Amino acid sequence: MNRIAEISQAEKTIDDFHLGPINIEIKPGTITALVGNNGSGKSTLLKLLMNLAKPDKGNIRISEKLVFGPDESWKTQVSYQPQTVIGWNAFTGNTLKEFISPLYPDWDDSLFTKMAKLFDIPLNKRFGKLSQGVQQKLNLALTVPRNTPLVLLDEPTSFMDIPSKKHFIDLLADWMDDGNRAIVMTSHQSADIMKLADYLYVLQGGKMIGTYEKDELIGSYLQYWMKGEMPALPIPGELSREHQRLITCSPEAAEAFFQENDLTFTSAVPLDLEEIISLLLTERKER
Amino acid sequence: MELPIKLSKESREPIYHQIENQLKALIAGGHLPADAPLPSIRVLSKDLETSVITIRRAYQNLEYQGFIRTSQGKGTFVAEIEESLKQEVKVSAVYQTIEHAVETAFSYDYTLEQIEEIFQEVLMEYKKKGE
Repeated sequence: MNRIAEISQAEKTIDDFHLGPINIEIKPGTITALVGNNGSGKSTLLKLLMNLAKPDKGNIRISEKLVFGPDESWKTQVSYQPQTVIGWNAFTGNTLKEFISPLYPDWDDSLFTKMAKLFDIPLNKRFGKLSQGVQQKLNLALTVPRNTPLVLLDEPTSFMDIPSKKHFIDLLADWMDDGNRAIVMTSHQSADIMKLADYLYVLQGGKMIGTYEKDELIGSYLQYWMKGEMPALPIPGELSREHQRLITCSPEAAEAFFQENDLTFTSAVPLDLEEIISLLLTERKER
Repeated sequence: MELPIKLSKESREPIYHQIENQLKALIAGGHLPADAPLPSIRVLSKDLETSVITIRRAYQNLEYQGFIRTSQGKGTFVAEIEESLKQEVKVSAVYQTIEHAVETAFSYDYTLEQIEEIFQEVLMEYKKKGE
């Protein structure tokens, strides 16, 4: 499979924050969620892809073109929704659309109209006069219809009401049906990640912890409620224990261990994604 | 279109296998007739909160076994399947359910004789209802 974007060995220092080395490959048909604490470098990573921040080291390619090279044709291959936009306040939705749509050869005007209707966006009102939630919706309605192979979304649903979130997730899933597109998004909403993401790219304090396929990640953690005595020694992959509950990140080895040591459990239940992400991010801190 | 698929997180059965089996049951039971369109891989992954990788695996297995067919650019559809295959799915679903019930009883330390008694009682209840 060919790739839409690639970051290899990229590093960037901003004041006392160091990001990288970052390695990531984005393939068509996939949705990747960037996950990490505040200040872990998620937004900076998106800016590197957009050439809005220059890496100190490493290469960044979109559609096989280096983003800091002289050939800027990659710019029509990617659309970016930042958390905050600058310079839009004085313009209405309609005017902004007139600015943006000619820049993208595959602009889908009917999708724009559909999103404006779906989100109830007043297109004649100045951007600056809209509420945070409506600004976010308009921003997205001006991003997704660009129909670029790669879409970068920075916290797309953070200010949205519950029904709009659902509509937006449904819309993105339909939009992805094409199969040749990819989305990279940051989100602190685990519902967004559960419904949309195929891969999780986990960052902590600027360091890449890893890329995980969502279902594989969820399947690799298990919590057990033990019957009777708790094992004296740590079990394989043990991450935490309290009362009768044990959490492991290697269930198979743990169960083999239980059998060898005549230990029994009353139930084994997977963790939800929020717990797994918390464990991934705290587990590392302690090391 | 939302499918009546319910995944069990507690089950030891892998997620792709649960999806595969439930789709087979819907097809064999006639809930999804031949040529009925199925949701796209992306839409089903959203509805079931899995990754597309998992759904693709389930769809590929179902296609390989002849339950569904994919036509390029049009989508995925329920295939025309033979009556014998339908029967096979039904029989194995009933077997599995009964096996599961027996396993549950074993986990509560019931003996085979006790399980048989309960089973007879349940059957009697149904016979009464039927008359």
